[in-house]
Amino acid sequence: MIGIENLTVRFGPTTVLHGVSFEVANGESFALVGESGSGKSTILKALAGQVEDWSGRMTLDGTAMKRGDAPHARQVQMVFQDPYGSLHPRRSVDDTLAEPLAIHGIKGRDARVLAMLDAVGLPRRFRFRLPHQLSGGQRQRVAIARALMLEPPVLLLDEPTSALDVSVQAEILNLLKGLRQEKHLTYLLVTHDLPVVSFLCDRLAILRQGRIEEQAPVAALRLGQLTSAYGQELYRRSTEG
Amino acid sequence: MSLLSVENLRVAFPSDHGPVEVVKGLSFDLGRERLGIVGESGSGKSMTGRAVMGLIGKPARVTADRLEFEGQDLRALSERQFRRLRGARMSMVLQDPKFSLNPVIRIGEQIAEALEFHTGLTARQRRVKVLEALEAVRIDDPERVARLFPHEVSGGMGQRVMIAMMVVMEPALMIADEPTSALDVSVRGQVLDIMDDLVRRRGMGLMLISHDLNMVARWCDRILVMYQGRIVEELGAGQLGAAQHPYTRGLLASVPRIDEDRDRLPVLDRAALGACQ
Repeated sequence: MIGIENLTVRFGPTTVLHGVSFEVANGESFALVGESGSGKSTILKALAGQVEDWSGRMTLDGTAMKRGDAPHARQVQMVFQDPYGSLHPRRSVDDTLAEPLAIHGIKGRDARVLAMLDAVGLPRRFRFRLPHQLSGGQRQRVAIARALMLEPPVLLLDEPTSALDVSVQAEILNLLKGLRQEKHLTYLLVTHDLPVVSFLCDRLAILRQGRIEEQAPVAALRLGQLTSAYGQELYRRSTEG
Repeated sequence: MSLLSVENLRVAFPSDHGPVEVVKGLSFDLGRERLGIVGESGSGKSMTGRAVMGLIGKPARVTADRLEFEGQDLRALSERQFRRLRGARMSMVLQDPKFSLNPVIRIGEQIAEALEFHTGLTARQRRVKVLEALEAVRIDDPERVARLFPHEVSGGMGQRVMIAMMVVMEPALMIADEPTSALDVSVRGQVLDIMDDLVRRRGMGLMLISHDLNMVARWCDRILVMYQGRIVEELGAGQLGAAQHPYTRGLLASVPRIDEDRDRLPVLDRAALGACQ
């Protein structure tokens, strides 16, 4: 579903990604793991068409992306880290969810908004509330609902639970796992939290300073059998704190 | 004698439906130790820290049967007397260095500000103290860092600068409110190490406020678990597995593990928790 080949990204004089390659199969959940500055979020940005200066090859569902080209909103959507920053403060849940429908001229607005509220586990009475009337977990549900309104096959998830309380994190992780099974979605997840990867993903790539150190199936992570020295170091830090 | 003694602390905010209590009768003692306060957003843990620092202003109301710090009754202090205490005898480290450092003042000058306010040291003496404080938080080239502006340093470095600012006066009590939540896992360990070292070497009392149960369990001597403004459980270090309260147990169960094989994570049953309060 997602193919990245030899992707190099520069911001001015600095190269932040050095020839990164990986593939994500249809329906797979793939994690990009690394510290701040490792380039993991930059890969998501590049896929979302928000990076100007890139070279290499990126394909989405078999179609190659051109430079300066954003993927179609119906193909890829993104969920961000902070649900306090990613929702318009003066727009109700209904406005937020209906906007993509209006832009793309999709009919049946009422039914679709209600169906999506049900799908992400938000009570229907929340439909006309504003973001400040919602808790962090409820806001993240709205952000996920918005991303799914156009029924894209691919979701890019940038630390979707790291701003949430642990008990709320569990709710959102369960939701993401359930939605993926139901709607047969492909996930590309960025996180620094290895246990989250273990719960939600099939495979992972470990990034360091713009390079992939290793790719591994999640079983290797669970057993602590990452092969690279850096992977082992991350594992140790995660288990020891 | 304990460093800090709190009895029946209450914090209430007025609302249309009468006062709403966010801290409901908290009692604890803190010696020269590391005390962890854990809870979710809205559990009142940050309000507890702020109440001790005297940082809760109107319209909120703070009451307590006893609120003593180094034998001094904090309830009787005027704002002016409190200012003498804050930054000198007790200080606070906040979550995000990006928002708690002044962006237009050089790091060295920000650290020196407390010295200027609380002591009669000369500029030269202050400068020596500042460099010592930066060294104490393991910044290798303090001279260079002192000249930088906050945006020129990384998050981990920024947080160390914050801690340097807090320890430059060698306070007896440090309240750290989510000091590592904005940091990378790799830097987190370093920052905790530094605080740990300060507690041990300078005999400081540390109140570590966090939502991260496992992190607090590893770093503190004692843990108070807060839920809806009350302490629901007190645990010794390493006794996390022995937690009894359904809230603590629920929180622990909802954290994914690195060898996760559960298909779904258990979620707190808040209705049932409300009933057992």
